[in-house]
Amino acid sequence: MSFFRPRRYAPALFVAVALLALAACGDQYPNSTFTHLTDNNRTISALWDRLMFLGTGVFVFVEALLIFTIIKFRKRPGGPKAKQIHGHAALEITWTVIPALILVLIAVPTVQAIYTTQAKAPDGSLKVEVIGHQWWWEFRYPELGVVTANELYLPAGRTVSFQLNTRDVLHSFWTPQLGGKRDLISNRTNWMWYTPDRSLAENAYNGFCVEYCGTSHANMRFRTFVVSEDKFESWAKHQAGIAAGAPVPTAVAPAAGAPVVTGAAMAGMKMPAAAAVASAAPVEEAVGYTFPLDKLPAHVVPTTPMPTGESTIKFDDALLASGNAVAGRELLTNMANLGKAPCLTCHVIKGEMAMVKDDQAKGPNLTHFGARHTLGGGLFSSDPATLARWIKNAPAMKPGSIMPTLGAGEYNAMIKQKLASGLDDRQIADIVAYLKSLK
Amino acid sequence: MANTAATQTTAAPHAAYESGLWSWIATVDHKRIGTLYLFTALFFFLFGGLEAFLMRLQLAQPNGHVVSAELYNQLFTMHGTTMVFLAIMPLSAAFFNYLIPLQIGARDVAFPRLNAFSYWVYLLGAIFITVPIFFELAPNGGWFGYAPLTTIQFSGGLNIDFWVMGLQILGISSLAAAFNFITTIINLRAPGMTLMRMPMFTWMSFIVQFLLILAFPAITVALVFLLFDRFFGTNFYTLAAGADPLLWQHLFWIFGHPEVYILILPAFGLVSEILPTFSKKPLFGYHVMVYSGIMIGFLGFGVWAHHMFAVGMGATADAIFAMATMLIAIPTGVKIFNWIATMWAGEVSFTTPMKFAIGLLALFTIGGISGVMHSSAPADTQQTDTYFVVAHFHYVLFGGSIMGIFGGIYFYFPKMFGRYMSESLGNWHFWLNFIGMNLTFFPMHFSGMLGMPRRIYSYDAGQGWEKFNMASTIGTVLLIIATLIFVINFLKSRKGGSVAPNDAWGAGTLEWSIPSPPPDYNFAQIPTVTSRYPLWDLKHPEMTSDISHASPDAATVADAHAAPMHEETGGKTAAELGIPMPFSTLKPLFAALGLVIMFAGLLFMHTDKFALAMTTTIGGAALLIGSLYAWLTSPLE
Amino acid sequence: MANAHAAESASHAHEHVHEHVHEHVHYTTTGLDHKKIAIWAFIGSECMLFISLISTYLIYKGRSVVGPFPHEAWTSPSGQLFAPILNIPVTSASTFVLLMSSLFMVLALEAVEHKGNPAYANNIRGNSKFWLMATAIAGATFLGFQAYEFTSFVHEGLTIRTNLFGSSFFTLTGFHGAHVTVGVLWILTLFAMDYSRGLTKKDTVLVDICALYWHFVDVVWIAIFTLVYLIK
Repeated sequence: MSFFRPRRYAPALFVAVALLALAACGDQYPNSTFTHLTDNNRTISALWDRLMFLGTGVFVFVEALLIFTIIKFRKRPGGPKAKQIHGHAALEITWTVIPALILVLIAVPTVQAIYTTQAKAPDGSLKVEVIGHQWWWEFRYPELGVVTANELYLPAGRTVSFQLNTRDVLHSFWTPQLGGKRDLISNRTNWMWYTPDRSLAENAYNGFCVEYCGTSHANMRFRTFVVSEDKFESWAKHQAGIAAGAPVPTAVAPAAGAPVVTGAAMAGMKMPAAAAVASAAPVEEAVGYTFPLDKLPAHVVPTTPMPTGESTIKFDDALLASGNAVAGRELLTNMANLGKAPCLTCHVIKGEMAMVKDDQAKGPNLTHFGARHTLGGGLFSSDPATLARWIKNAPAMKPGSIMPTLGAGEYNAMIKQKLASGLDDRQIADIVAYLKSLK
Repeated sequence: MANTAATQTTAAPHAAYESGLWSWIATVDHKRIGTLYLFTALFFFLFGGLEAFLMRLQLAQPNGHVVSAELYNQLFTMHGTTMVFLAIMPLSAAFFNYLIPLQIGARDVAFPRLNAFSYWVYLLGAIFITVPIFFELAPNGGWFGYAPLTTIQFSGGLNIDFWVMGLQILGISSLAAAFNFITTIINLRAPGMTLMRMPMFTWMSFIVQFLLILAFPAITVALVFLLFDRFFGTNFYTLAAGADPLLWQHLFWIFGHPEVYILILPAFGLVSEILPTFSKKPLFGYHVMVYSGIMIGFLGFGVWAHHMFAVGMGATADAIFAMATMLIAIPTGVKIFNWIATMWAGEVSFTTPMKFAIGLLALFTIGGISGVMHSSAPADTQQTDTYFVVAHFHYVLFGGSIMGIFGGIYFYFPKMFGRYMSESLGNWHFWLNFIGMNLTFFPMHFSGMLGMPRRIYSYDAGQGWEKFNMASTIGTVLLIIATLIFVINFLKSRKGGSVAPNDAWGAGTLEWSIPSPPPDYNFAQIPTVTSRYPLWDLKHPEMTSDISHASPDAATVADAHAAPMHEETGGKTAAELGIPMPFSTLKPLFAALGLVIMFAGLLFMHTDKFALAMTTTIGGAALLIGSLYAWLTSPLE
Repeated sequence: MANAHAAESASHAHEHVHEHVHEHVHYTTTGLDHKKIAIWAFIGSECMLFISLISTYLIYKGRSVVGPFPHEAWTSPSGQLFAPILNIPVTSASTFVLLMSSLFMVLALEAVEHKGNPAYANNIRGNSKFWLMATAIAGATFLGFQAYEFTSFVHEGLTIRTNLFGSSFFTLTGFHGAHVTVGVLWILTLFAMDYSRGLTKKDTVLVDICALYWHFVDVVWIAIFTLVYLIK
């Protein structure tokens, strides 16, 4: 019985806790909520500091009182008899009133902060529509005509007003370093806003879905890139147009900001000059700003391992070097290939024929896919080898993904058998080349 | 053992008691039903722990691959569901059953057969909801089952059906038990046992029963809507029909928040029995403890939306619910201080039950403080749905409920089985549990505030969460070792522990005046009660001298001594003493079976076997109604 | 308390002394029968059930995306104009019948309470069988009205699957109807007992708890009638 004495272990426990707390202040916590990078998080941090201060005070007081009591009044041979005190009105009132006062110290700034953070966003805020899908994020900038997925660009120093909606189940939008979270509720619209500090330049943060939304809830991630206002403008201007550098039929090669082909009904759809593809040449055009790959901090680079064992997706990586973007485009955009590569039934690529309305697309908008660093809801790096395997068998890489298995001979989890026909590695390499060219 | 007031060294004379499997299946004795609850709930506690352990193995390292995403989602859904509905609630029910009649001086509960029915419904419902996990068909929508994810549009399989129907079945068990205990406590108190003389465990249980009957209808309705949506095509949660997903959330949390108090108040009650006994002092501020319990229960119905600070209810609603939530901290804090004051100036002896009770005080305080942090709505938008919340409610439910229940098991084991549990194994159990619990859950405060979301089966490397997760997983290993020690201690001590006398610990309430284990009729003569601690009145009058006793014009002290506390029944049976006891019967079991078959039949509707579904359901209903009719028309005793 | 209770029982039962010797009288703290306390707890719980159902109906009121609607005219997809679907005169009649059934229940309870009282013997006030049957018939009539209402709604194109109004309306009133059905069966069981062995004064509590349940179901209907039918 004497081996375990609370007295002996309490200091050790305390030191361990203190060390853990100290460790939490270091730099190696890329998703810490204890930041002051936005107005929203500064408000919350101020509240948190007060909660932590008062909470620690109460904790130390109560635990110290408890430990003191059980040590001081422990039963000892020959010790004093128990004093029969059965209540004390003044004491009862004291420990009702003092906690109440402490709570007032919390309640007042809490209510203030509720009204500050939930006030209407300031005029002139940048409007961003955040749309949740199982299991990826769609970001739309209605004033700028930009639609993108899983990678959110924000200008430093400007208030961003998020309009939150979901196309299916509930999700929750959260970039811990930049602010609190807000749920995406079906049949409702939510709002939140914050202002990334002007001093932030070229910073990347992780974002998460934090409302359980089904099988791949854990795989519904996004990146937030905070960049200077001029870089943001460069990015947005280019994103609003069609991709540069991709093989585009000369006949329809529009300048950036050209009218967008959307909403065409299946029946009235015209193939945009498929015959001209052969003569298509990469358009030399300034590519807008993209967060530089070499400046990506390690914490935003996905580490998700590829499937192993029986579910390994085999792919001949040597083919990637010789991938033909023109042939890849033909595979995607020629109706004749729809059976093998039904990409455009779910994805929209601006400038190409639209088989689905842009705001009803089930998959991410691929217009500038080549300028993205991740794929699959921020689950993987968007390098050619990973992309090739993703196209070949996405559900094997992301549980529950509705992106179908496309590679010939791959096991299709949906129909629970191997795909008899589908894309071969050569074709996939071509599609990879085309998608990567969509800068 | 030197700490106890025990002086008796031989086993108390055991009353003749039926034995054998049959006597357990057909029993309507509240003590046997309590024992059945205890064993069943402990089994599910171990099962829920195993589910948690698998999750911790998966999360020990980034990008874990111990279980699949799908299985992980089933595991966390079932861990929550198991621990709430199949472990902690029925563990509390084990104590309600065993203790309430003993504490109020009754021979059984008001409706013994309804009590058996509650148990069988619980057991069958628990099997119904648990078995699917062996086929990877377990519920996977979270224990909170948010619509529209749980609607047929997004969850087509049988998984959610098992959950919806399982919870309905378990709800019926809890409701039936609650009506029973409310009636028992109101109507079966021994003469002189006024409300303000009731032991604190009975008081807290009394409050819990009201929470149960008022909170469960909300989830029943929410589940009926979901069941109708899934089986009959109604639109309560159908997005295309314009449904509002917040309907589910409001209904669920109107149940869900009182449910938290349903889980914690019985543990508070147990601790309020243990602390005075091992401090050799009556409970400090009895009245305040009663009123604070009532306050907690009452306020518990007005704070549900603090689970929804991120859903965008609007600033005013957030502010109201934030402040209401803060209010609950006051009665809860009052309880903590009264418990400390109970030990103050006492003779505190560190028996195993006492260690667990003190452990509850130490750990629940942490959960309470982080709870206040959640009540600050803007701060909560950074905390909710992260591991910080996981840490918070495990300090409440593991640090609070489970610590209290373990304390209660060590404390009442001698009453239930006539033998003490081993103190040295108990000591190991406590310390490994205490350290393991902190090692598991304390780091979650950090991983949460450092950005780790809840309910994720996998996370990236380099996010700053690795060491916290590894620490949590190591802590779980300690918890498993601790729990195994408990199981060994429990099983070994039933036959091999040192023999306990009637009054195993020198406590003051009625249950300690009768033999350990008690005879089937509990009290050979119903006692007359004149104070809160009738046993101390007899043995240690100095301890209770300044607590108000019965007023002179009511039952007198002479009356009290006329009904002696120390009954020497010499192992007489109820028949020999002329005490009518309820008949054993299988009717409640058949009624429970009918109920579960009725629900189970609906499962076939999703496999397009409509005729089979209808036949099974109608057959189940017929069995239920037939058994109920036979039960109601046959005499109780 | 115990003494007082025992004394009370003794004074009431002086004619049946021999019964008391054989029959064990259970002590209860309040002097009330367990069943009476349990039914009050049950009714408390049922209140929360109906509050949840009624709240849902009110929350979803006006949110249906397609007709029919309760109080507003609506146009079907084919362009046909339909009147609001709720038929208030008919439901007022059924409400009146249900209210009457509560009155009959009061009289049935009074008849059983006064079994053995010469003033009640051989006249209609003491005829518990009559009043029980009257209650059951009134309850069944209410159910008939409800069946008629449901059928006509279905003919007008409103089912439980049609819209939010249909789902919440049928579920709410259906739950109430199920409660009335249980009540009618309960009352018929009492009638059968009365018919076969004759209810006596000692059976008062059996009728009493049934009456409490029946009045509760009636009061719930008043709430539903007001909130669903009358308030637009």
